[in-house]
Amino acid sequence: MPVSTVTARASPDALLALASKEGRGRLKIFVGAAPGVGKTYAMLSAARSEIAGGRDVVAGLIETHGRRETEQMLEGLEVLPRSPIVYRNRVMREFDLDGALKRKPALLLVDEYAHTNVPGSRHPKRWQDIDELLAAGIDVWTTLNIQHLEGLNDLVLKISKIRVRETVPDKVFDRADEIVLVDLPPDELLKRLAEGKVYVQDTAARAVESFFKPQNLTALRELALRRAAERVDAALVERMQAQAIEGPWAAGERILACVGADAASPGVVRTAKRLADLMDAPWIAVTVERSGSNPDTAARKRTDDALKLAESLGAEIHTLTAADIPDELLRFARFENVTQLVIGRSRGGPLRHLTGRALPDRLMQRSTDIAIHLVPVQTNETAPRRTRSLIARLNASSPAHFLYASVAVAGAVIVGKLTNAFVPTTSLSVVFLMAVLFSAVKSGVGPAIFASVLSFLAYNFFFIAPLYTFTIAEPYELLALIMYLVVAVVAATLAGRLRDQARVSAARVRAMRRLYEFTRRLSGLATMDDIAEGAASETHASMGRPVVVLLPRADDLILTAAWPPDDSLDEAAMTAARWAHQHNEAAGFETGTLPIVPWRFLPVRTGEVGYGVIGVRYDKDAAPDPELQALLDTLTEQTAAALQRAALTRDMVSARTATETERVRNTLLASISHDFRTPLASILGSATSLSTYGDQMDEAARRDLLVNIREEAEGLDEMVRNLLSITRIESGALELRRDWVDLREIAARVIGTARRRGAQQSLELHWPEGIPLIEADATLIEQALGNLVGNAVTYTPPSAHIVIDAEADSAAVRLRVTDDGPGIAPEALPRIFERFARGTETAPSSDRGQGVGLGLAIARGIMEAHGGRIDAISPVQAGRGTRFVLSFKVKPQETQDT
Amino acid sequence: MSAKPRVLVVDDEPAILRFLKPALEANDYEVSHSATVADAIKRIAADAPDIVLLDLGLADGDGKEVIRQVRAWSDLPIVVLSAREREAEKIESLDLGADDYVNKPFASGELMARMRTALRHRMQRNAEPANLSVGGLDIDVLRHRVTRGGAEIKLTPKEFELLAFMVRHAGRVVTHRQILAAVWGPAHTSDTQYLRVYIGQLRQKIETRADEPQIILTEPGIGYRIGTAD
Repeated sequence: MPVSTVTARASPDALLALASKEGRGRLKIFVGAAPGVGKTYAMLSAARSEIAGGRDVVAGLIETHGRRETEQMLEGLEVLPRSPIVYRNRVMREFDLDGALKRKPALLLVDEYAHTNVPGSRHPKRWQDIDELLAAGIDVWTTLNIQHLEGLNDLVLKISKIRVRETVPDKVFDRADEIVLVDLPPDELLKRLAEGKVYVQDTAARAVESFFKPQNLTALRELALRRAAERVDAALVERMQAQAIEGPWAAGERILACVGADAASPGVVRTAKRLADLMDAPWIAVTVERSGSNPDTAARKRTDDALKLAESLGAEIHTLTAADIPDELLRFARFENVTQLVIGRSRGGPLRHLTGRALPDRLMQRSTDIAIHLVPVQTNETAPRRTRSLIARLNASSPAHFLYASVAVAGAVIVGKLTNAFVPTTSLSVVFLMAVLFSAVKSGVGPAIFASVLSFLAYNFFFIAPLYTFTIAEPYELLALIMYLVVAVVAATLAGRLRDQARVSAARVRAMRRLYEFTRRLSGLATMDDIAEGAASETHASMGRPVVVLLPRADDLILTAAWPPDDSLDEAAMTAARWAHQHNEAAGFETGTLPIVPWRFLPVRTGEVGYGVIGVRYDKDAAPDPELQALLDTLTEQTAAALQRAALTRDMVSARTATETERVRNTLLASISHDFRTPLASILGSATSLSTYGDQMDEAARRDLLVNIREEAEGLDEMVRNLLSITRIESGALELRRDWVDLREIAARVIGTARRRGAQQSLELHWPEGIPLIEADATLIEQALGNLVGNAVTYTPPSAHIVIDAEADSAAVRLRVTDDGPGIAPEALPRIFERFARGTETAPSSDRGQGVGLGLAIARGIMEAHGGRIDAISPVQAGRGTRFVLSFKVKPQETQDT
Repeated sequence: MSAKPRVLVVDDEPAILRFLKPALEANDYEVSHSATVADAIKRIAADAPDIVLLDLGLADGDGKEVIRQVRAWSDLPIVVLSAREREAEKIESLDLGADDYVNKPFASGELMARMRTALRHRMQRNAEPANLSVGGLDIDVLRHRVTRGGAEIKLTPKEFELLAFMVRHAGRVVTHRQILAAVWGPAHTSDTQYLRVYIGQLRQKIETRADEPQIILTEPGIGYRIGTAD
């Protein structure tokens, strides 16, 4: 029997929201309709009962405004000292955020949620301080007047005619875990005001009489009550979603706010927010840029501000680019299933409204399924008008461009005059049009329109009867002239826009090339410091502003590179840099953290790993260009990628070095154990054979065993000597016992030893006359030479020839060991004097085992201790042979001594 | 008495051969010599020596290769000479079928004794007798009886199997792995704790003093051998 079950699922978003609240402190806001309703008092009395319940409560900041009742409530409460902040030569006493974080009480009371901090504080707004406290797990209680809520800003303005500047984003307000409404009927509030019980700040004093009117207070009270009621609703819905309770869900409304640089945009955003709240619907704020357009900085900033406002009110934001704005808007709206569209009335001038060309009109013509809300511009807002932007556009071109335009028109007049004799007057318009197009292409839309008007006047003045007046005799001439003006303006606009687009794309190409150069340059650098240096200078080249790069060293950030070169940042800037690094957020100029610092620091990171920060210095007045901001973001990403690569390389190199050291140690242990064990085995074996079975052996066999024992013992002795020598050489403890020595005698002795040890190669000594004695340590020289000869014996076949000879000049005596063996491979030659470098065995049947690989290292050490040198030459001749040269310096007066 | 036993010394260190040859000859061996893996295998196949002394580090490769190849067609005694103290390598050699090993450096007398044991037991094994006798212990393989001087020692079937396996391989070092595979089965080759427990019990029963074993001798880290003090 089939059973159908409807499983109620918890909405993942709601669960996530709940989860992110866990571990955070809880926020309780005491909301009032107006100052003086007793929020602080209510908060303190509630806090007292918490203290009575044994909770660790600290008053972080309480504004008593000198009210006795409130001050009494503070008695017995631990109050956090305020921290002094110097601003414009005045000491301000502000809330001590770091002190509060350090004290870490269970519950902290901080008055006035909407307060704006003194510039120079870590965050510009107190609600940001509180956010950090909550993130640190501290519960916070705070107070708020309803007029400070961002989303109600317009309404409050309408009610009270006062624009409230200190606002709290609705998003933050909505995150509060609990809202307590402190209510006082307006009559009573007015009574308290009359009794002087309500403190009113000086700055607001002038607004007092208009603000504290009964109808205002009633309206604000209603706002506060409604807002609190909405909060209750929202919390209920959230709870229901999280617990998957089936309930009456809002009917899929979605709201789209269309914003731009126009004055209506903030109103559009707030209206959309209220609609969204009322309908309990998600909402989106969107701006559409005309493709190829290049709005001026001020316009872009206004658009960005509107989007930021929307984001702070909880909207999802998008930026679209399209040629046909209404079309794109509607496409996007349908894609997002938008049901309500909010747009400002000001989009499009009165003329456009008449012709139905304004954006709202076009939207209404084309959409049938979306409700459209038109929002008027707030009248007391200083609205930047479209005309102003035209003027701004004209101003944006330098005067030189207008001069070019004038010259072009003057040129047209001259050409016109010259050709007038031959050509009918009507064709003159083409000549002027050329001047207009020239200006458009050379200087852009503004100068081109200027040229159109100028040429219109010049045409009239110079060519239309009556000549040299601005009057026109014939009506058809007037008509022609007006037609000319229309054509000229249209052509100028089109050509100018084309030029602007070309310039924009050229700028994009430049930016791309910059980026390419940047990536290419960074990719060639190996160390993190070099990359920091490269990133600083390249970023400076792109941004045109001072740039610093800070990398972490031993738990702190170090200024690693700066362009232009500089070696210090002040403490405030360092604090912002550290903040950016630790919190993975931009800090400093125009950010939420330490905005007073003139630097803006961006974290450089890939994924979870932070590699440092890049800082760019801004002037107070010059707002950062959004396009450059985007470029900076890209540059930062590229720098992060380069630093990541360098870090990986560094780790790899150190791992390889460790492996190499390990390999050398293992080689040494293996060779020592092998090279000691074999002669020892031989000695022990021979000795035990003799003692156990000596009686059964003949005389020759016994002799041979004894010789074997002696030779192996000598070999061991030599090896021990070499090991001791290398240790002494390495530790710098090699002591020279210098005496006058005859190198010939030493060479002869070395040859004798080699023969006794069974060298089968022919060993010869070629000694010329007049080789002086040298002052040296005879034992060590014999060891060095012995190692060279021993090598020659080991690495050449038995048929080889080994020759020792010498030569001398006024500066040096050179002792040479030459063989005609296979020689040393060119790739091995540079490394043969290193420790544990061993030649490849060319003659496997060689009489002695491979050496430890110390012989040549010891020879070099000995020669260097004598102030001489050792060199290797291979091949010597005909692609074969090896020659080692030991060079001893000779003091000039001693050359005659022999 | 048959002809002199023939020994093949496989070592590439001339110094070693230089003292081994007179010592071996003094002990009545006929000595031949080989320095490489390839040559050693060829000579073992062609000359059929009675015993091989094998150095593991050879010029053209690993001496273990000689054991691997020779064991495919011959069970002649192989005694490994190793200058390396790496136990893994010795265990590997024994698992491949070497009879015994001698660490370099070694005294000549010890080597000769090992060679004699290996040779003698190889001959015994060829006979495969029904009764084994070691260190005063008599083992009746067919009736699973162990007696010392006529008195029976009671062994569990596992203990007997363990003892019988080791006695059958007297003269050889048997590795933990070899014993475990033969007595407990191939699935238990790493369960050395079984072995420790049973060897302990066995020593309690058959050794005169379990703390100073004379019959089952430990080769530390490698395995066991049956003591054949002669």
